[in-house]
Amino acid sequence: MLKKTAIENISQLAAVLMEKGTLLAPVKEVSCHNFAEISDPQKVDLKFYNTLMSPKSAFFPHREDFVKYKVGKPLSEAEHTILNLKPAFLFGVRPCDVKSFEIMDIHFNAAGIIDPYWRARREATTIFGYAYDINQPVDSADFYNTLGIYAADPEGSDIFMVKKDKELLLKSITPKGEKLLAELSALEKASSGDEKYYEDYIKKGKDYKTRFTCVDSEVIAKKIESIFDNTDFWTKMSAACLSCGICTFSCPNCYCFDICDDTLFGKGTRSRVWDACMFTDFTLEASGHNPRTQVYQRLRQKVSHKYSYHVRKYGVISCVGCGRCTRQCPVNIDIYSIIEAALKA
Amino acid sequence: MTDFKKIEENLKTEAGRLLKEGLVTVVLSYGKGFDENHPMPYAAKTIADVENIVFNQYCNYNMARYLVRYPQGTKIAIAVKAADSRAVIQLIQEEKVKRENLVILGIPVQGMKNPKTGEVIDSKTTCGLYNPVLYDILLGEEVHGQKNALPYEVLAEYEAMDKDARWEFWEKELNKCIRCYACRKACPMCYCDPCFIDQSKPKWADKAPQSPGNMMYHLTRFHHLAGRCIDCGECSRACPVDIPLYLFHKKVAKECEEMFNQKAGMSIEDKPVLVDFRVEDSDKILE
Amino acid sequence: MSFEPKILGIACNWCTYTGADLAGTTRLHYPQNVRVVRVMCSSRINPSFIFRAFQLGADGVLIGGCHPGDCHYNTGNLYARRRLATTKKILEFAGLEPGRLRVEWISASEGNKFAEVVEEFTMQIKNLGPQSKLKIQQ
Repeated sequence: MLKKTAIENISQLAAVLMEKGTLLAPVKEVSCHNFAEISDPQKVDLKFYNTLMSPKSAFFPHREDFVKYKVGKPLSEAEHTILNLKPAFLFGVRPCDVKSFEIMDIHFNAAGIIDPYWRARREATTIFGYAYDINQPVDSADFYNTLGIYAADPEGSDIFMVKKDKELLLKSITPKGEKLLAELSALEKASSGDEKYYEDYIKKGKDYKTRFTCVDSEVIAKKIESIFDNTDFWTKMSAACLSCGICTFSCPNCYCFDICDDTLFGKGTRSRVWDACMFTDFTLEASGHNPRTQVYQRLRQKVSHKYSYHVRKYGVISCVGCGRCTRQCPVNIDIYSIIEAALKA
Repeated sequence: MTDFKKIEENLKTEAGRLLKEGLVTVVLSYGKGFDENHPMPYAAKTIADVENIVFNQYCNYNMARYLVRYPQGTKIAIAVKAADSRAVIQLIQEEKVKRENLVILGIPVQGMKNPKTGEVIDSKTTCGLYNPVLYDILLGEEVHGQKNALPYEVLAEYEAMDKDARWEFWEKELNKCIRCYACRKACPMCYCDPCFIDQSKPKWADKAPQSPGNMMYHLTRFHHLAGRCIDCGECSRACPVDIPLYLFHKKVAKECEEMFNQKAGMSIEDKPVLVDFRVEDSDKILE
Repeated sequence: MSFEPKILGIACNWCTYTGADLAGTTRLHYPQNVRVVRVMCSSRINPSFIFRAFQLGADGVLIGGCHPGDCHYNTGNLYARRRLATTKKILEFAGLEPGRLRVEWISASEGNKFAEVVEEFTMQIKNLGPQSKLKIQQ
């Protein structure tokens, strides 16, 4: 099913979705866009290239509380946090980010241990993918083509949206999306011209080129394994690295976390908080020993995890080439260049 | 002002010479990034590396950040702009590096730009100097006769605010923090290992990016940089969520200058103001 | 109910704490709002103690040390003076009332002064009202 709406009327669609549940959509912040829970439909803003932070926080929030407890009280009195989720709508996700959910699914929702929090949020959410504007120049940091993702890939979205001048075309992809789209009476029916425009747009998306290097997951996994001991290479790659956590925090595929018990005034919370392999204390052991004290070791870990260990464990590269780590890096470290260099090393 | 291309040439020549003559083992300067608008901090260790050195208007990194990575005694050449040279001086004051182990390549320059916003970096977010304070070799002509706003002028608006409005402002700004710690990592003066915020005993703050922890982290960091911040603006440029950290640092620097009559990073003879005292310090400063 | 402020007192072992003892042994009356913690020297006070105290619900922080020149360790309070002055400026620019932090030099023989300062400071904090800005909501 294909429907459409004028982009200037987007707040009407937002209002309808807000009645049905929680709406997460891009909003303009001082100098960037970010996904946020919408309380004012006027705030939804689709004039963005891509958001600063990835939409992973919709399913994997920066802090997730598990248990609330009281000091000195028996364990049986501790309360589990129960998620009472309303249906949620994640609106305006770029195709590369949509792909990242599938990769994260393997980890949280398929391989052995199931994360109930991730699963509950994932199942409650309908994803509105949103194609990159192929009439705008591509950002020089992006490289999602390298990972086999294109600017207008509807795969993974429940409803996929493309921009047609001042209109937004919405196409249902999954039965979940089909059902929702049928209910959205705020939208107009699309004409056959729109159908054609949509199909063409998806095709043209393939020609919208980001940086590209031929990366076969098996080849790169093997290659990175083989240069593990090449300290010179990693030292060179990490010479500028400050080892802050912005690359991992903004990454749609980084899922490392820390379990924290925070107790204050006799009350405590056990929660899961994002952690970053770039931090010095990430691998700090209780004994005081730290197996990764050097910056190069930590950067090597990050790259190896994404391009090698993840391939070995789950068969796919844990990177979608959204370019956030490169764009946000205070010293312009570019994981794409590292991969290129690794292939030549 | 000497143009960027010429400075780059001079930088390459001097770096090549220093490495060739064996005077230094590493030259800290700027290198090629993934494209021209995104250069990177670069450590040239061999003569072949010199080719990769670049200098353009986006090379705003404070290379003094990397000095403490090398073991004491390493002979290092470092390219510095005005604020960066103050950072080097401050590190010498704090005995993190020794003057005799450094060859300071001074770059007098104006019109550096922030690659994220394209804005010119001026006295609004930095100390607003154009000429290095300390150098061994100058890589271009000194910049003179440039009208420039004073570095603390930008503060007037915030100082005039009512205290509640100011609290509201800082609460809003600091609550944006996602605790990626790019500010402390980009800061040439933040070299503590471990940083107080990473300690678990005592644990000063939660790990989650929430108000109490964010406040604790930033207020303490402002305090730790009191009288040491050389106003290079790296923290604010590194911040992914654009917290105007420079404002607070400027304010603390200004207060320290007024109270203790000394500007951070201006002379290697000085001692950082908070590890120093004068018997004649007045109790008035406590009022 | 009238507002009874919670005040953290941090006193140096050699002067102010002994002064506080003297105030006690001479049976001077002063408000009970101050909870005193003893440290070896006023320069032992990490500014984070002060921020943390405000976060954990202090309405005011009173710091006592030896008179400049009288420090048991010769120069400790001279460092502390500079440091705490800076802390005050930071609190002020963050939007807190700088009056919530007070530093006083009280010697071991000044039991009277200790009582007076506590009285005065408690009144001052009562006038300022509860500190809610940095306080962590329970």
